[in-house]
Amino acid sequence: MRRAQGIAGNVVLNVVAWTIILGVAFPLFWMVVTSLKPQFELFRRPPTMLPETVTFEHYIRLLRDTPFLTYFRNSVLLSTATTVIVVGIATLGAYALVRFRFRGRETLAFLVLFTYLLPSVVLIIPLYLMLVSLGLSNTIFSLVIAYTTFALPYALWLLRSFMAGIPEDLESAALVDGATRLGAFWDIILPQLLPGIISTALFTFILSWNEYLYALVLVNSDGARPLTTGVMKMLISSFNIEWSLLMAASVMMSVPLIVVFAFLQSYLTRGFGAGAVKG
Amino acid sequence: MTSHAQTPLERRYAMLGLALIAPTVLIFCAVIVYPLISAIYLSLFQIFTPTLQGEWVGLGNYAAIWGSGAFWPALWTTLVWTVGTLTLQIVFGVAMALVLHQNIWFRSLARSLILFPYFISTVVAVLVWKWVMNDLYGILNHLLIVAGVTNVPLDFLGSMPNAMVSVILVGAWKYFPFVVIAVLARLQTIPEPLYEAARIDGAGPIARFFDVTLPQLREVLVVIVLLRAIWDFKEFDLIWLMTGGGPVNATQTLPLVVYREAFGLNQMGMAAAWAVSMMAVLLVFMVVYIRQTRAKGSF
Repeated sequence: MRRAQGIAGNVVLNVVAWTIILGVAFPLFWMVVTSLKPQFELFRRPPTMLPETVTFEHYIRLLRDTPFLTYFRNSVLLSTATTVIVVGIATLGAYALVRFRFRGRETLAFLVLFTYLLPSVVLIIPLYLMLVSLGLSNTIFSLVIAYTTFALPYALWLLRSFMAGIPEDLESAALVDGATRLGAFWDIILPQLLPGIISTALFTFILSWNEYLYALVLVNSDGARPLTTGVMKMLISSFNIEWSLLMAASVMMSVPLIVVFAFLQSYLTRGFGAGAVKG
Repeated sequence: MTSHAQTPLERRYAMLGLALIAPTVLIFCAVIVYPLISAIYLSLFQIFTPTLQGEWVGLGNYAAIWGSGAFWPALWTTLVWTVGTLTLQIVFGVAMALVLHQNIWFRSLARSLILFPYFISTVVAVLVWKWVMNDLYGILNHLLIVAGVTNVPLDFLGSMPNAMVSVILVGAWKYFPFVVIAVLARLQTIPEPLYEAARIDGAGPIARFFDVTLPQLREVLVVIVLLRAIWDFKEFDLIWLMTGGGPVNATQTLPLVVYREAFGLNQMGMAAAWAVSMMAVLLVFMVVYIRQTRAKGSF
């Protein structure tokens, strides 16, 4: 009797849970479905839940007739450059912050946390003026500089907690065995830190990939425009909004993310644990 | 740090530490500290954006913002958005975390699906929702009419209070996964004997939630609420892309005001003054958050 009740309860729980989960995921499902429908089917009432005719014409049009690929290339360049620079510098910085004693260490850690919470709109005005006067506006490089303002504090903060999780004894043992500090860093710390570095790199890449405001303000030419502002421009500049095309662009734009989700999801969850939440 | 005499080795280590941190410090000064100070400095000028010609006005910009009473409605809008979306994120996030903590079917798939909105670009989220909420062909209006909730298609983004409600809902959808993951991680560390003890004492599921789970979650919830409050308060992309601050300026939160002053009305100095005023409000949250993390000894 009790067991039957338990099973029934379990089924109810699962049905309720999955209804909510599918509800949450519905807009994403709808995005994919819309991108595969021919234009005329979009305006059918009632709407068709699954496309009656599946078509890839929007994807083909997106790649052939729009600057989508240029935007995509810009986004890849921009996010990769930001990630490599930021993670490289932040790894050294986090090592220094966690394992060395020097004057101003506490103040610096405080500053990192503070900037991690700083709104972009406050920095954007002076940054805009600075980059214009340096003659860098409208370049991918200017965005890399701007992106370090949020990516570097973020990466430092994450790597700092990953670094703190590595036992100090290992390093001490290596030092006793005659290794130099940098030698120990290379041989002992880095391998231990690798999952943390991957996780931080993923987060940094996704943050840069998704950034919108700096790209909106600093770049005004298709040659340097990343996906976020590029795709929005396709929405605004068209007289007739082609929702299928925009949904196809949205799907394509999420491809790197889907790849990360499929193969590297454990790193994302790990980053969550190490980040702000643990404090 | 200099209370005792340093050995040469310690001094060398300290030097190495400084060398390793130097690139970080340099970049921080160049792209964060300097812009932050110059934002405050710029707020004392009247600057026309296209020409960047400035004229000293002292505290004139602040006098204009605070004197005209323009600040309070904008702050109010920001608070409505922040409190609204934050409340939904927390309630829905905690509930979802409790569900995902149970042994439901295909748990890891469920977790991925829940996590996805948080990681997709705001641009993608907004495009999808604008299409879902389209007044003529949107699926949402269709579903609401079929369900009998409404007879006429709703204008989700073009009228009030619909626009604010829509933005708050989309914000909650986009950011509640953060709460889910954070709470879920904490739930997994609550020792099982606590629940067994409660069960032996005859506590039902609801009592167990309030007497065991909630007290254990208290600390992490405080941190989540503070963090999300800061992040929601400064949110720009989502609101800007959804409504552009409209209808008229009913959803124009402080970050949007800053952007509009600087690049819409071309008043850089005024925009900087708005930004600094906004920072002043935000600083309160930040100080509380930083105190909280410090108290936990992670500093």
